[in-house]
Amino acid sequence: MARNRTYILYGLALVGFVLLPQLISVKYYIHLSVLALIWVIAAQGQNLIQGYTGYVSIVQAGFMGIGAYSTALMGMHFDLPVWLSIIIAPFVTAFFALLTGYPSLRVKGHYFAIVTLAFNMVIFIVLMNFHQLTHGEAGITGIPKPGGKDALFNWRDRETYYYFVLIIAALMTGLAALIVRSRIGQILVAIRQNEDLVGAVGIAAWKYKLFAFVTSAMFAGLAGAIYAHYQSFINPEIFGIAQSLDAILAVIIGGSGTIAGPIIGAFFVVFLPEYLRFADSFRLILYGLVLVLATIFMPRGIAGIARDLMEKRRGRT
Amino acid sequence: MKLTAMTAALALMAGAAWAEEKTLDIGVSDALTGGGAVYGLPQTNAVKLAAKEINASGGIKVGDDVYMLNVIAYDDKANPTEASNAVRKLIDRDGVKYILGFCCSGATGAVASFIEFEDAVMLVGNAAERSITTREIPNLTRTRPPADYTGAAAGTFVAEKGHKRVAVLGALDVGFYASYVDAFEKELEKAGGEIVSREAFGLKDRDMSPQLTKIRGQEPDAILVVGYVEPAAFIYRQAVELGIDVPRYGFTSGSEEQFTRVATSEQMEGVWDLRPTELTLLSASENGKAYHANYTEEFGIAPSPSSPYSYDQTYALKDAIEAAGTVEDTEAVAAALRDIAVPDEVVMQYLPVDEKMFDQNGQAYTSNGAFQWQSGNWVFVQDLPSDAAAYSAFLSTLDD
Amino acid sequence: MVEVLQQIINGIAIGGVYVLIALGLTTVFGILGIAHFAHGSVSMFGGYLTFFFVTSWGFPLLLAILIALLVGLMLGVLIELLAYRPVRDANHINAFIVALGLTMMVEGINLELFGHEQVVIPTDFSRVFNFGGVTIPELRLYVILAAALLIAAMTVFVERTKTGQAIRAVAENRDAAILMGVNVKTIPLVVFAISTALGVCAGVMVGSLFAIAPGIGEGLVVKGFAVLILGGLGSIPGAVVGGLVLGITEALAAGFISSAYKDVIAFVVMISVLLFRPQGLMGKA
Repeated sequence: MARNRTYILYGLALVGFVLLPQLISVKYYIHLSVLALIWVIAAQGQNLIQGYTGYVSIVQAGFMGIGAYSTALMGMHFDLPVWLSIIIAPFVTAFFALLTGYPSLRVKGHYFAIVTLAFNMVIFIVLMNFHQLTHGEAGITGIPKPGGKDALFNWRDRETYYYFVLIIAALMTGLAALIVRSRIGQILVAIRQNEDLVGAVGIAAWKYKLFAFVTSAMFAGLAGAIYAHYQSFINPEIFGIAQSLDAILAVIIGGSGTIAGPIIGAFFVVFLPEYLRFADSFRLILYGLVLVLATIFMPRGIAGIARDLMEKRRGRT
Repeated sequence: MKLTAMTAALALMAGAAWAEEKTLDIGVSDALTGGGAVYGLPQTNAVKLAAKEINASGGIKVGDDVYMLNVIAYDDKANPTEASNAVRKLIDRDGVKYILGFCCSGATGAVASFIEFEDAVMLVGNAAERSITTREIPNLTRTRPPADYTGAAAGTFVAEKGHKRVAVLGALDVGFYASYVDAFEKELEKAGGEIVSREAFGLKDRDMSPQLTKIRGQEPDAILVVGYVEPAAFIYRQAVELGIDVPRYGFTSGSEEQFTRVATSEQMEGVWDLRPTELTLLSASENGKAYHANYTEEFGIAPSPSSPYSYDQTYALKDAIEAAGTVEDTEAVAAALRDIAVPDEVVMQYLPVDEKMFDQNGQAYTSNGAFQWQSGNWVFVQDLPSDAAAYSAFLSTLDD
Repeated sequence: MVEVLQQIINGIAIGGVYVLIALGLTTVFGILGIAHFAHGSVSMFGGYLTFFFVTSWGFPLLLAILIALLVGLMLGVLIELLAYRPVRDANHINAFIVALGLTMMVEGINLELFGHEQVVIPTDFSRVFNFGGVTIPELRLYVILAAALLIAAMTVFVERTKTGQAIRAVAENRDAAILMGVNVKTIPLVVFAISTALGVCAGVMVGSLFAIAPGIGEGLVVKGFAVLILGGLGSIPGAVVGGLVLGITEALAAGFISSAYKDVIAFVVMISVLLFRPQGLMGKA
């Protein structure tokens, strides 16, 4: 019964997302919604490692950067069609995630976070300094849209891109749900709850942790690739640690360890600054305060609170 | 609100009753907070100041209509994503067609990548990355010359001083600083000199003694420091502390106060700054002095040296709209921008190409100057040998 | 040879700052198991305060540092009580996210109070000593000496005093310490106070030798954690060795390999240590 109800809720949400562009009269908000949907993909990935496995990774934006630069550079240098380079980008990201995941996962808890943060710094420094490849701070301009001029859809139209990203975000959310419900997902949750116990029953926890880390990186790589073709411009600035912190915030605020959480959280981090403009320079302080208070008082995020409320109501009727 | 009320009152006084008075919204996307705010905030103020002056002297006249300017400014934090958000918002939500400001290269590059497809005109200010004007985007112009235009002039100047072995220490991860050094090197090599090493530092580095120690070991004739003021000030100090006593040249555009906070005036003595002439009271024209006074009165703080780039944009836009005779047809206004002469009101000293302010790339050129630190002040010593027409022709051959 | 020596001297000054930051981090981690990410920003707050007292109120430097230390002590205690204590029994991930939030808050407060322009604490030490071609500015020498003094004081405190022994007891075995009558409620407060005081000293050193500006604190705390991983988590000798190794590695890397990638090289050293000696250089296997 409960599962049916959940499916109905997701169905309704999807219908809402499909109708959204028709309800918005100002195209600017469609633009923000596209960005939010891209963040949904990245946050679903972040949730796998942070929410389910219990390891805070601070390199999600760095991996988005690898995805974004690899799709842009493959298009420039190998003349690959856009759809193909978008598909390859997550695998390039996965390669780097494997390389970095192995040493980082040798340390637990907080220190994993610090090591991943160092990786984000390394990625940023390389993107900034490896001019021949990345054009440094000036960035790469003129990254093509998925369809050419005579394509079936007008890709310059933000609505077209919205539906394109919506489909991918929905698919990736579905994929995340599948992973979480599988045996792998159960082991990931067990690792979060008691890693030593998982080891004690003879499961090689490190394989599962590495799987979660690499998969989360692939989500990020895909999000980055889609971002690159949407904005047509990338530079290292947008793939720094501040953006990795946004991914963490999205998961925490939305509800870590839930499938709905990252969706809510992603829209939250994209739209919140828009409504915090009045606060201007206090924005950073408010952001931090929200994060601290949310962790102390609502550690299960908005999705967690919503579920509690629903269950309470059901209990009463 | 206050500004609209004031402009309305002023317009009435100007006796423009015969024409139908309308409001033209112009947008500003610039860094109002964060590290870029040092450049972005003064630029935004400068646009507001220019708009106020234009309104006070009767607005922009298009046919029988008179337009009063209303400035809508958004913070792009010098961040590419934020900048595309800000411009999207200006175009999509506020219906703005003319967008000014743009202090910083990353954010500007992001907007430049899509502005061609919008019904809008983009006027770039302080952002110095060359690639912004290499693609000949028809609805984009820029008041600040690219860094390599200045770098070439600086290279000629240093070569004329007889230096053969120059060591570079720069924020080389930033594109336009690297291109300054490349152009500098080309001119230096023409005169038989060479760059003996290229050392880098990051925006947050404050200890450059490892790089300077290496440079000291190479025994150069001169050093060239290229980068933001805050780290650069430390380089000048640490060079003295390490006993490096060769001439020091730089491209930093910092104020006296920014340097003396870090280094003593004795440690700074004799340092050269080779940069666009920009606004310094010592070299300022009458317009420049008036601008300095009005800005200071309006905002209670002195204008930054680079802020007139956006002040001048506003007057260029005014002339272009009046020449095109329309505010609706952005294509016509964009074309007119590339056709106008340098407006009388501008503050920077532009070197027109074919008597036009902007060349076919949409690029304007200012003169470059050599400034030297002499007992506590930057003193304008001489113009640098700059060839705007030749550079303009060179810029047209690039397209990436 | 002169160049190598000069680079080592260059590296020791910044290495000393890393040691002080890392000492604060390592004691907090050893006792409470918290990665106190806001430590760098709090340290910079101390530096800013010192700057403010010296330039705005004309206090002598030492008095300004003393007041900044006291404020720092109180801030440390407040952070422990208000932010970390509520999440102590929750999953460790929560404490880390609280730490990230605190970092944003303290950075924001610094920006609001002291602006975005860089700040340099004025001192009047401008002589430069020259030892056979190796130069060292007076101020740099004092910073190195002060760091050495603080490290020695910290070691004596932990090894010789009663409170220090209690701290070590809690770090080694919390339950046994409770049985022995150590007050585990006040120990975290003491630890936070000491760690913040060390941080404030580091902030003053950075602020006088270099500069304090937005983002500098975050950069330092990352280096501090790198030192911990290098030296061994929770180990005081590890923090000292790790800090000096990192500082000198950076200087040598910038001087002899590549200045653009000096931070990358430092992180590569950290990762290699992680691969071949996960317990750190001085950690127990």
